[in-house]
Amino acid sequence: MQDPKDTFLWRNRVALAGGVLLLVAAHMISSGVKQSDALGRPEGVVAEIMRPFQAASSRMASSAADLFHDYFVLTKAARENVHLKEQIAQLNQRQATMVELELENRRLAELLDLKEALDLRVVAADVIGSDATGMARTLILNQGDGSGLQPGMGVIAIGGVVGKLIATSHSASRVMLLNDHNCAVDAFVQRSRARGIVAGVADDGVIMKYIERTDDIKVGDAVVTSGLDGVFPRGLLIGSVAAIQRKGPGLFLNVSIQPAANLRKLEQVLVITQTPPHLTDSGTS
Amino acid sequence: MLFAVATLVALWLETEVRLWLPAGILFPNLVLILTVDLGLKQHNGLAPALAFAMGYATDALSGTHLGVNAFMMTLIFLLSYELSRHVWVTGKIIGPLTVALADLLNTLGVMAITAGVASVTTMKAPAWRMILIQALITAAVAPLIFMILDVGKRALRLPVRVAAE
Repeated sequence: MQDPKDTFLWRNRVALAGGVLLLVAAHMISSGVKQSDALGRPEGVVAEIMRPFQAASSRMASSAADLFHDYFVLTKAARENVHLKEQIAQLNQRQATMVELELENRRLAELLDLKEALDLRVVAADVIGSDATGMARTLILNQGDGSGLQPGMGVIAIGGVVGKLIATSHSASRVMLLNDHNCAVDAFVQRSRARGIVAGVADDGVIMKYIERTDDIKVGDAVVTSGLDGVFPRGLLIGSVAAIQRKGPGLFLNVSIQPAANLRKLEQVLVITQTPPHLTDSGTS
Repeated sequence: MLFAVATLVALWLETEVRLWLPAGILFPNLVLILTVDLGLKQHNGLAPALAFAMGYATDALSGTHLGVNAFMMTLIFLLSYELSRHVWVTGKIIGPLTVALADLLNTLGVMAITAGVASVTTMKAPAWRMILIQALITAAVAPLIFMILDVGKRALRLPVRVAAE
């Protein structure tokens, strides 16, 4: 009788299993698996497992930064005398805490002002992690569908538009930033009302697409959301025109945008949970 | 179990450290190193499933297309596995070299899948430079990760290298 370990299937089991899993992954990519699908559900579980560690390390990193700062203050004070060293250390600890509190207070006050000015239902969230590979521009937030967040909702910060939610779990969510090459926001130039799509580009940057050569557009023009994409309300600041390239063939201009929000230094954001009214397939708003 | 814990630690480091680094992209792809280790040293039936799971977990915390990293990690596992079966050369350079090539393949593969092949062919010199530096950084860290994994395997009394029967 043939040894079962001597069969073709057994000898090539690693390559065959790998091949099957490659096909599964290719299917997931091509069919655009969502979190609600059977294949997409474990994604939320991974995010939930990681969230407490990420939240804890964010807090630890803040504390570590304070300690690092205090170390230098203590070294300087040691040159004078022990009494002063202790006093300075205590004062600096207090000062660092107060500065941190003041900065946080200022940020939250600005967020509150923004929230009131917008007159929209929003949920405030802290940034607790960045994209795992760095190849996409995404951030992880500490609020999820438990707070009413859903994929597709718009995210803003003090400066302006930040991006859109792409995935949520119970208490965490991921936001795709404006400079990700898969992000697109319907927008227009505030001064001339020239309409286009603001999108990220693969090598880090933001452009405005489909601006016709005859459109009135200048460097420094403010670019705002049009409210036509069903994600952001009309008139939210996205950024300003940084450069316009008129040379070369094609129907459209090559317009670079400087985002108003600092996408590299986000700590707190607001998620717009109230989507603007839009027409549905049946024609009702 | 060792690889599951290692993957969670790697993802935690990648999402947190990157947040604090000024140039976030220049951080080694730790999950990729784990996958190459699997491909080079773990030749059992569970290994491809582990590679797929590590990619899937990365997908949960990265990118916009679910399945991209799962696909790339399974592919990199298979290529490392085939490489380890056919290259009759051993030495400390094979691991990091495989990691560097795998990192290049991974970056270009993810870009091609998510942004189209044109985004790779039209990429400018600074972007190529960043990708190469990223691959070199990942390769430089690889021996340390391999060593930690070997220590972990010995501590758990697992074989350091599992050959196909």
